Amino acid sequence: MTILGEIALWIALPVALWGTVVSFAGGRIGRGDLVLSGERTVHVVTLLLVLVSAGIIAAFLGDRYEYYYVVNYSNRELDTFFKVAGLWAGQRGSLVFWTLLLSVFSSIAVFLNRRRNREFMPYVSGTLLGILSFLLIVLLFAEVNPFERLGFTRFNGLGLNPQLQNYWMTIHPPTLYLGFTAFAVPFAFAVAALLTGRLDSRWIAVTRRWILLSWFFLTLGIIFGMRWAYEELGWGGYWFWDPVENASLLPWLTATAFLHSIQIQENRGMLKVWNMVLVVLTFLLTIFATFLTRSGLIESVHSFAENLTIAYIFLGFMGGMAILAAILIIHRLPSLRPENQIQSFLSRESAFLFNNLLFIGVTFAVIWGTLFPLITEGFFGETRNVGPPYFNRVNIPLGLMLLALMGIGPVIAWRRASKRNLRKNFTLPVAMGAATLAVLLATGVRHGMALATFALSAFVMTIVVTEFWKGTKARARIAGEGIVSAFRGLVKRNRRRWGGYIVHAGVALVFTGLAGAAFDARVEQEMVPGEAMTVRSALGSEYRLVYESLSHTRPRVAEDVQENDWRWTALLTAYRDGERIGVLRPEKRFYPVMEQTSTEVGISSSALEDLYVIPKDLETGTDRATFEVKVLPLVPWIWYGGLIVAIGTLVGLWPPRGVPVPSAARERERAVRKPVPAGAAG
Amino acid sequence: MSVLVGGVLLGAGVLLFVLEPVFSGKSAPMYDGDDVFDEGAARRRVALTALRDLEYDRATGKLDEDDYGQLRTELSREALEHLGEEGEGGGRGPDRASRELEEEIAALRRAIREGMQCGVCEHLNRLGARFCSRCGEGLGGGE
Repeated sequence: MTILGEIALWIALPVALWGTVVSFAGGRIGRGDLVLSGERTVHVVTLLLVLVSAGIIAAFLGDRYEYYYVVNYSNRELDTFFKVAGLWAGQRGSLVFWTLLLSVFSSIAVFLNRRRNREFMPYVSGTLLGILSFLLIVLLFAEVNPFERLGFTRFNGLGLNPQLQNYWMTIHPPTLYLGFTAFAVPFAFAVAALLTGRLDSRWIAVTRRWILLSWFFLTLGIIFGMRWAYEELGWGGYWFWDPVENASLLPWLTATAFLHSIQIQENRGMLKVWNMVLVVLTFLLTIFATFLTRSGLIESVHSFAENLTIAYIFLGFMGGMAILAAILIIHRLPSLRPENQIQSFLSRESAFLFNNLLFIGVTFAVIWGTLFPLITEGFFGETRNVGPPYFNRVNIPLGLMLLALMGIGPVIAWRRASKRNLRKNFTLPVAMGAATLAVLLATGVRHGMALATFALSAFVMTIVVTEFWKGTKARARIAGEGIVSAFRGLVKRNRRRWGGYIVHAGVALVFTGLAGAAFDARVEQEMVPGEAMTVRSALGSEYRLVYESLSHTRPRVAEDVQENDWRWTALLTAYRDGERIGVLRPEKRFYPVMEQTSTEVGISSSALEDLYVIPKDLETGTDRATFEVKVLPLVPWIWYGGLIVAIGTLVGLWPPRGVPVPSAARERERAVRKPVPAGAAG
Repeated sequence: MSVLVGGVLLGAGVLLFVLEPVFSGKSAPMYDGDDVFDEGAARRRVALTALRDLEYDRATGKLDEDDYGQLRTELSREALEHLGEEGEGGGRGPDRASRELEEEIAALRRAIREGMQCGVCEHLNRLGARFCSRCGEGLGGGE
């Protein structure tokens, strides 16, 4: 199986190159047979990559320790679960996985458009196959071949990094990769639009769902990543402005900007060039994110042993793509002129424009901060990190402005808003925001940024709720329906709009949760079994933790080899305001094969806050232990908000009534069939 | 050996499938049939959706009469302009989505005209109500 996978990888490259050439050529000279051959290539490459991936997984499951990749990311003691996930545990495998997902999405795009958008399709398949060819070249020739052999067979592998031995590891990277790769489809359509010169909003209309799909996975992937960091890293936080985290945030930021700016193009025929720039930028950032995460470019600052070849190859690819896209856009500039001008500063258009400027501002601030160590190393010979204070100082104010716009955008009128319009729509939300501020000030909250976040979140929430309420009520009256069916009818009629409002509500909740970090409580204490400690939360509850015992276990003993991990588990009973809320089992694990320790935190979650226990030192002989205990207010709201965002996105993604199904389109095509021009061969 | 055979078979299968169209002359469609995307139709749908939302905004009190009147004129003009483009292009009538939107807008306006909105206090009443539920004024007349 593994050998077959290796063969499939070698076959895939020439096939993908052939497909790239014939797709572009077929489109250019109008030969349908070449285009068909190109489209078949897309499906074939997908099949081959399935074989490649199956080959890698088979090598993991079969403990084939003659392969470099398997040796470095697995060992005999590893759970089957994590062996399958070995496909994306390291750089080589994740490149294969990335390529596989991209090819699957390419296949779906080609299949769905087998009878639609035909003028675009040769260039769409060509572009997608071009990207696939590039990735295959990297896999085969850039010293990252997943099938590279050691030349001898080891008895056992080196094992998987303990921090990756967590179930979020099996969910988080694939979700993020789904988001990254799905965005290649809108990018390919944009390239096709530029090449064919069909620069109306068609390419946007046909890729709108792809954009949302990509955004959906990106958002979920980032939230899963936050959850992973929260549970696994044991630092009591979910976001550290780490280069790898930033890398996943960057395409999300530009994709969000893009989702908003395409609405201006669709509604008002403006920002056409800007949308092209955003789609290219987002695509490049998905590539950047992939190689930054997996190349060790930034980590190289801390260790000299990294191989940077792949980073340079990816940088070259990004540069090449950027130049090609720039040439195409400049070439088409005359056709990308705006049809309208912004009429007023107070209008939805300008709200969208500010939104875009802010998103780009955050994007560049994050890029600058992420690359700062590289820049200082290059220019001054010493590495400097900007650290979280820089990111927070720059991004929190920008984020708050975006939060305000999330409320303003949906209700301010298109074209120009009159004073009456503003008064009518903003009186109640502003009053609610002000009331929230007043109540919080009265209860003694003095943290400026947090106060602003809470007030603005209340403002946004009020707007979303009143919009839904007013809309439902109007529909119930006009259509004579009950409230429930009126509500459903309302959402069904304009899924994008109402789905978007739900997303806004979810994001406001996430912001509120993030602002909770201003009120974290923290106590560190050394204890012996029987002793207790107390922490008082900012929300007024008093938590008491009784340290019961410490146990040492060596689970999962295999017959002929040592254990995968040794565990020291502390048992603590938690009380809130005198009431028992549960037992926490924070843990230290030692992985003998890799000689690494990992920390498993104990979390007790309530609707408003989390009790978070980090085991620091656990002494087996004396059972003496040091715990860092934190009470993190509003953290659960981040996860609730994420869930609401996901639901809202799904509402927007759901196919509306009356979309032509392929069979209907087929019948119509039969009825009026336009002649295909004779090919160049004829 | 079996691996080699498998590899050769895989390669041959792939080659056959990919190259077949070139030899047999089988072709992918290069143009859309009737399903062609029409920029005019798209812009018209956008204008009509905005018009429909405008009716709702007015019914919910988000817009007053002056703003409503102004925007309605602008949007109607845009919808008509794009209908013109469409007529010149393919000589076809408005697409289904546009027709549905137009019907919905007409129904909304009819509902409002047919006495849901009170002539005195502008309160919107339930369809079929005979008296305004806010001020008690009789309903049912024209605008």
